[in-house]
This record gives sequence, C-alpha cells and structure tokens, in this order.
Amino acid sequence: MEKRSILHMLDPTPNNSPFDVNMALDAGFDVLMPYSNVKLDSVNRLTQDAIFSRGPSGVKRTGIFIGGRDLALAMDMLDACHQAMVPPFEVSVFADPSGAFTTAAALVACVENELKEKHGKDLQGSQVLVFGGTGPVGIATGIIASLAGAGTILVDHLSVETATDVAKAYNRRFGCTLSGASASTETEKAQLIASADIIFCTAKAGVQVLSATVLKEATQLKVVGDVNAVPPLGIEGIKRNDLGAPLIHAINSKGAVAVGALAVGNVKYQLQHTMLKLMLETDQPLYLDFREAFNKARDIV
Amino acid sequence: MEKPFILHMLTTAKNLSPFDVNMAMDAGWVSALPYINVEPSEVQGLVQDAIFSRSTKNLKRTGIFIGGRDTKQAMDMLKTAKRSMVPPFEVSVFADPSGAFTTAAGMVAAVEHELITKFNTTLEGKTIIALGGTGPVGQAAAVISAQAGANVRIIGRQLEKAQHVADLCSNEFGDGKITITAGADADKAEYMQTADIVFATGAAGIELLSAELIALAPNLKVAADVNAVPPAGIAGVDAFHNGTPIEGSKSGAVGIGALAIGNVKYQAQNRLLKKMISSEKPVYLHFEHAFEVAREYIKSSQ
Repeated sequence: MEKRSILHMLDPTPNNSPFDVNMALDAGFDVLMPYSNVKLDSVNRLTQDAIFSRGPSGVKRTGIFIGGRDLALAMDMLDACHQAMVPPFEVSVFADPSGAFTTAAALVACVENELKEKHGKDLQGSQVLVFGGTGPVGIATGIIASLAGAGTILVDHLSVETATDVAKAYNRRFGCTLSGASASTETEKAQLIASADIIFCTAKAGVQVLSATVLKEATQLKVVGDVNAVPPLGIEGIKRNDLGAPLIHAINSKGAVAVGALAVGNVKYQLQHTMLKLMLETDQPLYLDFREAFNKARDIV
Repeated sequence: MEKPFILHMLTTAKNLSPFDVNMAMDAGWVSALPYINVEPSEVQGLVQDAIFSRSTKNLKRTGIFIGGRDTKQAMDMLKTAKRSMVPPFEVSVFADPSGAFTTAAGMVAAVEHELITKFNTTLEGKTIIALGGTGPVGQAAAVISAQAGANVRIIGRQLEKAQHVADLCSNEFGDGKITITAGADADKAEYMQTADIVFATGAAGIELLSAELIALAPNLKVAADVNAVPPAGIAGVDAFHNGTPIEGSKSGAVGIGALAIGNVKYQAQNRLLKKMISSEKPVYLHFEHAFEVAREYIKSSQ
C-alpha cells in the first residue's frame, strides 16, 4: 500500500491558519500535523526528524509547510530546512507566511497581465508604489516587482525610517532595489502618485488609502491592484471583482485600470492549491517561496 | 474527488481533550486539527480563515468545535463564531466545553426518562437541587432542566459563588427566561425536604449526599450522579445504576450512575458531531441541542 502523504506544518505562532489547513487537505495531503510556537533553532531538528523516518519512497510523500506572520523569519526557516536535508533524504518545503507569498505573487501577476494587455508595457522600467508596503504582503509584493525590474517604493503610512529600513534589509537579502517612503496626508500621497505607473494597495483591510481626490493627481497611472476585500476598499472607485475595469477616479491618467481583491484572491487560491499539489507530484524536492509562486502565478494568469 | 471532512477544534486550554478528538473522528470527520491556547479575541480571525478557503459546497464538509473548560467563555466564542460568518461562507459550530453540555444533557434526559417511566410525570414543576452545581456540568444541567420547567437550585460550598453562577445561568444562558436560585451546601438537609430530584456534579471522589439525608427526603424521586470514582457523589448510587432503587430511600427514589449518564452523553455528542456533517444549513450547537438529541436517543432506544 502506498504510504499516506504527510504535511508537517511548522508555525512560529501559537496556531496554524485554518486557511492553510483547508488548502493543504484539499490539495490532497492525507495527514496534517501542526507544530506550533516553533523557533528557528528547532527547524533543523524537526526537519531531520521528518526526513529520516520514512525511507526514500516515503520522503516523496512528505512535505513541510512554513506559516506564521513574519516574512523574514519564514525565509530563514525555509533556508534552515534546506540546510538540514541529507539527500536522498530530502522533502519539499513551501513557505507562505500569512499567505503573503501567494497573495503577493497573484497580485503582481494580475497587475502585470493588465499592464501588458491594456498598455502594451511590462514591469521593467515601470514606477511602482506599494501602499501598506511594510506589512508581509506589501514587502513580498515589492520584492517581486523590484526583481521584475520595476522601480519600486515601499510606502509606510507613518514612518519613512521604517520603510527605508525594511527596503534596505530586503535589498541585501534578495538583491532587489527597493526604496522607502512614507505618506500619511492626502498631500503626501498626491505627490507620490503623480509619477507612478502602478500602485499596489496592501494596507490593512477596511481602510481606504487612496481617495478620488488623490487619484486625480496621478498623471501616468496605468494599473492599480488592491487586496483589501473589506469595505471601504483600499482605493476609491475600485470594485472587488474588477479585473481590468477602468479606474474611474483617475481622471488624469488615460486608460488606468483596476484589479480588485476577489480577482486577486481567485488567482491566489488557485496558486496555493497548485503549489501544494506540486509538492505531492514532484520527483525532485522543491523549495517554494515567493519567487516560485510568482512564476506559477504568471502561468495561471 | 470529494474533499475531506475537516473539523477545526478550538480550545482555550493548552491541549484538546483526546475524548473529543476520538469522538470527532468516530463521527466521520476525516481530519481534526487542534488550535490551542486560543484567546476569545482570536476566534473571528480563525473562523474567517476557515470559511474563505473553501467553496460553499465544501464548507458543508468543514466545521468548528469549541472546547475549553469555561461554560461562559465557550458560549461567547460560539456567539463570536456565528457573528464572524459571511453568508454564504458559513460553517457549523459546536460548543461542548469539558464535554459538559453533552454530559449535562445526558444526565437530564436520563432523569426525565426515569420520571416518565417510574413516576408517570415530567420535569415540569419539579424541585431540583444541583449539588456541586457551580461547575460546567452543573450549570448546563441547571439551565436545561429549568428550560424544561423545573425549579432548580444550584448548591455550592460558598453561597455567594453559587448565587453568582445561578444568576449567570438565568440571565446569560437562559436569556432571562428562567430563574435559577442558589443555596449553601450547609443548608442542604433543609433543601432535601422538598427536593424531587438531586443532581450530583461535584468533583470526583467526594460524597455530596449522605445516606441519612436520602432516607429523610420525603419527595425524592431520582438522584443522578456523574461521578464515576468511588466514593460515589450520592451514597447508595453506584456508577452502574440505571433507574435502580436506592437502598434506604423511604420515598422509593431511583439512582442513575455515571456509566448510564456517560452512555447517553456519548450518543448525544456523536449525534451532534454527525449533525454538523449532515445538516444542509450551518448549525450552531450547544446544550439545548445536546438535550434534544439526548432525548431522541433515549426515545429511539426504547
């Protein structure tokens, strides 16, 4: 009999996300095991315990998922898993803290697709702003956009120091070229968006970040994407199901279009499902983070 | 391929109860996942994570169980869970802290059965004293039987605490539609003079009611004891008693012990866990529903 597939779900927080639990079981894992309050220095031991108990055929039916809320910690844990492997005792590992990697990958892929279809352009050389840019989804969005060649600014709603520190830290780590800014007032937002081609809104749910008045100031805006599904939405005039619908309040940016939260959510859902299935189907162990997520999101879009 | 049945099991304690885990798996849930040390404030986030990752069709194959030890906290979490649903993204939720709701339901249904079969009467208008009644099982049993028309007094060692619990039961769990009174353990001899029914729901291994007090109770009909560890909570009622006459009772009272109650409890919990799976619409289950299915079970087993 074929061994049951097991997903070990490592989480630095007290509990796994029920979202990820549903996704993993629906993707076909037979058994899920939660490991909560996991510290980085326990990852090596947990990984080796997982790989040495099933034999070479069993490891193909075994995977590790890394959750939590902290993007940097999840990437450190992914690296620690990788280093702990002893080929051929090696299993696939997928990091998706807060679902941020798959959400960011889906968001950027949807926006990139609209940019190509509606404006004939790509991310290379575009000017990108990420509002809510210092949260997990914002940072991952920024890194993906930056690695795709866009001039990307992470915008924090309070502090330029926070934004700049985050940008520098991830530039060192992933070789991207993020910069930081802050905008709390309408005037500051208006100044920032005047020269933006693309705006990602990854701020807190239920908070409007860009009003119609501010959007009027954008002169070369092409595509906006918003992941906030809880009214009021992050960008005024956007609808949750928008996928390339005109952004009505951007009156000085000809042809600007919007991608709403449910359109992004739909791709994110398919993406996370695909990546979890990939862990079960692959012959070679995979280490999946936002980069692989973005490649797959592009395929889906 | 059909998606698996997933039960997300939330508890405020540091572990789930293996009892509940076994029960959930045996009722047909394929995967049961623990969420421990859950703060009531985290319930909304967990519920919404659970409902937004499956299609509405597969949400019928998804459920949430609320354990823990505190009755009020579990009821509050159940309410929060219900409020957090975003129809049509909605799943069934079942609260049974410490198994207290199904245990209480099993006990009250078993008592009611004895009243009907041995005394040709019902819970309506009966005087009940709940000894050791301030804990989760006592609270739920008091509310269920008061809702069935009985006059219930919760007895505790400290009158003040018993009064607080009685008020909580009347106002919070009974929506103010029932009135449960309180009494001190020191005065139980007096209360036994008018009691038709006694529940013993105290800590295991403590005798709450002596043979002398049983002998002196003129109206006593049924005495039920959830304690399975000797000495029995009620003198003369052992764990195996199931409508067995209590030796020395002048009023001809019968006893119901922990194993008879446990059997009905088991059936009630099993039925509610299955109801979550089979129900077309999401259901929110607590002690009232536990009592309904406990009665159904007793009826069907006759």
